[in-house]
Amino acid sequence: MCVLCGEFVSQIHWTERHIEDRASVSEARGDYHRFRRRDRFHRTKVANEVLRHYGLQVRDWSGGKYILRDKKGRSELVQDLGSLWPAARRLASRPLDPLDPALHAALREEAWCDGASTNGG
Amino acid sequence: MLSAPALTNTAVLVNEFGKVGLDHHLLRGANEKTVLLENGCLCCTTREDLVGVLLELLDEEGRGGIPTLDRVVVETTGLADPAPILFTVFAHPVLQHHYRVDLVISTIDTVNGQMHLDLNPESNKQVAAADVLVLTKTDIAEAGAPDALRMRFRGINPSARIVEAPFGEVDPDELLSTAVHWYPIEYRNSAYSGSANGSTPVPDTFVVGGRTGDESARHTSQTHSTSLTFDGPVDWAAFGIWFSMLLYARGEDVLRVKGLLDVGEAGPVLLNGVQHVVHPPGHLEEWPDEDRKTRVVFITRGIRSEELLASLEAFRPLVGAGPRLLAANAPV
Repeated sequence: MCVLCGEFVSQIHWTERHIEDRASVSEARGDYHRFRRRDRFHRTKVANEVLRHYGLQVRDWSGGKYILRDKKGRSELVQDLGSLWPAARRLASRPLDPLDPALHAALREEAWCDGASTNGG
Repeated sequence: MLSAPALTNTAVLVNEFGKVGLDHHLLRGANEKTVLLENGCLCCTTREDLVGVLLELLDEEGRGGIPTLDRVVVETTGLADPAPILFTVFAHPVLQHHYRVDLVISTIDTVNGQMHLDLNPESNKQVAAADVLVLTKTDIAEAGAPDALRMRFRGINPSARIVEAPFGEVDPDELLSTAVHWYPIEYRNSAYSGSANGSTPVPDTFVVGGRTGDESARHTSQTHSTSLTFDGPVDWAAFGIWFSMLLYARGEDVLRVKGLLDVGEAGPVLLNGVQHVVHPPGHLEEWPDEDRKTRVVFITRGIRSEELLASLEAFRPLVGAGPRLLAANAPV
């Protein structure tokens, strides 16, 4: 998937190659599927920590794709989390940039709040 | 070089087929023909001509028409961007399983190299994207010119290997060796190697490369190289989200990213990207040497080292570790 334009180019995204590579390793299929589910769950959780600052949320969709939603009820289906950014840009209606100081401030504030609640503050 | 035994089973794809004047059984012509994805970016274009020739080579090899190939060398035009070639191989459903991109080699005319780097942004992109930089015409260049260019290259791309080719001659084994450097050589033996009292030292950060004088500052300030590590293993999923987000937002300005990532496993992840195009990351079973810490080089245009560090520091709760600067080509 082209990370800029979101065009489907018939390949596994580089962020998920290790999952597919593991499929070729000789291990019980049950172990592989558990690994894949755990990885997708973790990946979705991390993505949402970023997306929430843009009013968005992503969820696993049928174990193969992901569905991205905003707070107005709009949604888009994305192939993989590495290529969700074009869809997120459309739903958020503003640029998404990890270099944006405003995003940094939001992440810091969230981390501080999480720390305060953990410490009983 | 084509006649060297080391290149017997090397296919060479050239643009100006008729002008090469060589009789080599594995010489092919490939006239650049690109297919741009609708609404796509320039680096995610497919070289249809390349697809055709590479598939033909596989077919001929399969039928026994040519010997088993060791490698294919693709020549590009003067200021061409290598990213589409990488994308073509990575994205094609057949090519990606039969070919691997080993090296990007850029040649620089030592006599006019400084001028090209000053006047052509594309030259800087090529230097940034290269694994190997070949200085040509060193036999007729002014004394000191090769060293000055080496210094300037280090400022743009500290991880590239530099080879000289006087009279157009170069050792094929030296040129095509894939034993690439994954981090700047300058600090391999620096204070970062350890301290007498056993505590983890804070590595000295220092500036590498660049030219002296106001003119060099003006030109090199647009291209930034940032070498960094982390203070612990990183969460691969989180790093992937950060990096893919960065490439979406600023991919055309992220000229190159290359390095080894500690993801908390026995071996590192090999990270190698040219603008929006990322090599399929390799997960090594063990580290190549005794230094088991992340080291990644970012070569960017217009994105300062401080911006990358601030971003990774903000993502620390997700990535699991914080960035530490190892070297930069401008004071931070």
